[in-house]
Amino acid sequence: MTDTIDLLEAIGQDASLRHASAEDLGKVLAQAQASEALTAAVASGDSTRLSAEFGLMQNKTPEGILSPAREDEPEEEDPLEAPVPDANPLPSQK
Amino acid sequence: MDTSALTHSNNTCRGSLACVGMGMTLGSHLTPLARSHIERADVVFAALSDGIVEKWLQRLHPDVRSLQPYYQEGKSRLKTYREWVALIMAEVRAGKRVCGVFYGHPGIFAWSPHKAIEMARAEGYEAHMEPGISAEDCLYADLGIDPGRFGCQHFEASQLLFYERRIDPAGYLVLWQVGLVGDWSLARFQTGPAYRQVLVDRLSQDYPLDHEVIVYRGATLPIEKPRVRRVALCDLPNIPLTVEETVVLPPAEPLRLNLAMRERLDALDALEKAGKEVQA
Repeated sequence: MTDTIDLLEAIGQDASLRHASAEDLGKVLAQAQASEALTAAVASGDSTRLSAEFGLMQNKTPEGILSPAREDEPEEEDPLEAPVPDANPLPSQK
Repeated sequence: MDTSALTHSNNTCRGSLACVGMGMTLGSHLTPLARSHIERADVVFAALSDGIVEKWLQRLHPDVRSLQPYYQEGKSRLKTYREWVALIMAEVRAGKRVCGVFYGHPGIFAWSPHKAIEMARAEGYEAHMEPGISAEDCLYADLGIDPGRFGCQHFEASQLLFYERRIDPAGYLVLWQVGLVGDWSLARFQTGPAYRQVLVDRLSQDYPLDHEVIVYRGATLPIEKPRVRRVALCDLPNIPLTVEETVVLPPAEPLRLNLAMRERLDALDALEKAGKEVQA
């Protein structure tokens, strides 16, 4: 079975696959022995079906919510301190 | 051609920072230069839109540290972003080559990359930003909009409510973060229909309520298609809307000639044609 992340990367980089129909992409995935989750996601057009393989991976979308909605910046006199590493698991546990 | 001689020496313990964009779609948008920054880094911090994209990034570097766990419902996002900057700067100060990888373009709707770069430079470290393909770039391609044709204004949606802003309905209007419009606390990740109704009331000063608006979300995985919905402005409060979705208002009125400027320009043209010197 071909690794799902590798397959997604290959699809994203290939002009013949990136905009292929679900049917055509399904044939390619069958040849590559793609996972059930990826095959189901492509067939249904619902990428949340990948959660069957990776678990629930709903990230907050940083680009959408990074910028403060107001112009005033945080107070500079409040020192920036790195959080205690134990309190926040790093590297990613996802 | 053997390019090995071009490879920069890695024998440095001076900290540095590069903030790069991952682009929007897995596999499709990562630039060679951004990839190089990631691969050369000692430590990679990641603020990405999709957990699967984060898994892909982990294939590119053995030490990818997700910034996602610092988000919490009820916690000000400003506090979260300041924590991100502190985490990044701690590694830069420790002499590491640090790469911050951000969803889309690292400099658009992104406070912490700008802040971290500013801080690193102020402390004498090398720091810069590499652009990435943003949600805005994808929007133009997917919706067939050329921002140069009629002009295009972009606003974070809440700014339209918090501040006095001028809208030009002869051009496109693109509103970001409509899903959390009106959130002054910065501690919520969604606001409801009542907040969106306030936005519609503000927009109705410049647009008819039956004006068709486009609700757009780009693809983050290469097996996805962009999501495009068209609804009347008055219906905007009552549809399901996520924070990842962007609202586009096409022009509602034609461009009007500025006759005074045209006359001045015509006069200049006439002078040039007559071979006379044009003076400011």
